Amino acid sequence: MDRNQIGKWFKNPSKMANKYSLHAIYFCTGCGIIEIPPSITTRWDAERFGIIPVATPRQANLFMITGYVSTKTLKAIIRTYEQMPEPKYTVAFGSCPINGGMYYDSYNTIKCLDKFIPVDGYIAGCMPRPEAVFIGVTHLWKLIDMDKANGYKKYRENYPFYRANQEQLFGDLDWPPLFPKENTNG
Amino acid sequence: MDELIKKLQTDFDGLEISTLAKTRITISTKKESILLLLSYLKRMGYDHLAIISCNDWIKDNELELVYIVSHYLEKDYGPDSEIDKFNIIIKTRIPREKARFVTVLDVFENAEPYERELHEMFGIYFEGHPRLTLLMLERNYKIPPFRKDFNTKKYVDDLYGNIPTIEERKKGKK
Repeated sequence: MDRNQIGKWFKNPSKMANKYSLHAIYFCTGCGIIEIPPSITTRWDAERFGIIPVATPRQANLFMITGYVSTKTLKAIIRTYEQMPEPKYTVAFGSCPINGGMYYDSYNTIKCLDKFIPVDGYIAGCMPRPEAVFIGVTHLWKLIDMDKANGYKKYRENYPFYRANQEQLFGDLDWPPLFPKENTNG
Repeated sequence: MDELIKKLQTDFDGLEISTLAKTRITISTKKESILLLLSYLKRMGYDHLAIISCNDWIKDNELELVYIVSHYLEKDYGPDSEIDKFNIIIKTRIPREKARFVTVLDVFENAEPYERELHEMFGIYFEGHPRLTLLMLERNYKIPPFRKDFNTKKYVDDLYGNIPTIEERKKGKK
């Protein structure tokens, strides 16, 4: 641990603890999941950065969306995201969640993921190498330090708008709203 | 292989048989005789339906169904037998408008998911299929998405382009 960070630890210990122990859930949607096994195991060893993969969304606070998102998996992504405890951070891999990538004219692939759930950071590339993943994670640390990784707060505040977008795509959703209307400011 | 071709030509009429490679033949046939032909081949030992696929010939206004049949059990024919290396490709054409065809579930049980897929992607209705529900897609499309006249770019612009970003939606509401 860096000595000049001791002040930060005393000031806001829970934030620092969150920052250095990210429990990641990987959503194996697209081709990006191929990069995950080498990055979490011995070759690149994500545990140096405090990232450890967990089994269920209820134990996780880092959500990695690896690769393209089809309409059917978006449903599962929204449900997974809503199950995660706060604070939670989302990182999207590759060019497909940004603007569709090579699936820009596919009838069944989501073009902009951040219309449906908030995304804190993107790692560009097709596909990004594990080094790029770690650069993305260290960048996420900086964002957490500056309180800019506030996607979950945004989701809470703007939940009616996110829900409206989701309903516009799917028609009727078969689960109740995460934040019922009385409790939100939006 | 020559024996098989001779047998087929004596037992069926109206078959166009061409040899693609040493171990691969193509049979083009009328749509009425497809069930007979498949059950005939199954009795001959071609008991593995590898795939059912479909081509859209939009200029001819026809859909072409392709059945690929091969051997599943090698040991029945012995190690010296060449018979287990053969693939037989059976093609038939059906009209494009209100496409209907008969299911081959009675002959090959594993045809069920293939036919469901063709139903949702090409809009072919298979008579006698027990459940033609959606398999992979989320919604019913006016034009099935794998047909040639489905304009993907326009569809994408209509569906995904019309969804506003969160900021736009916020401004619109307030």
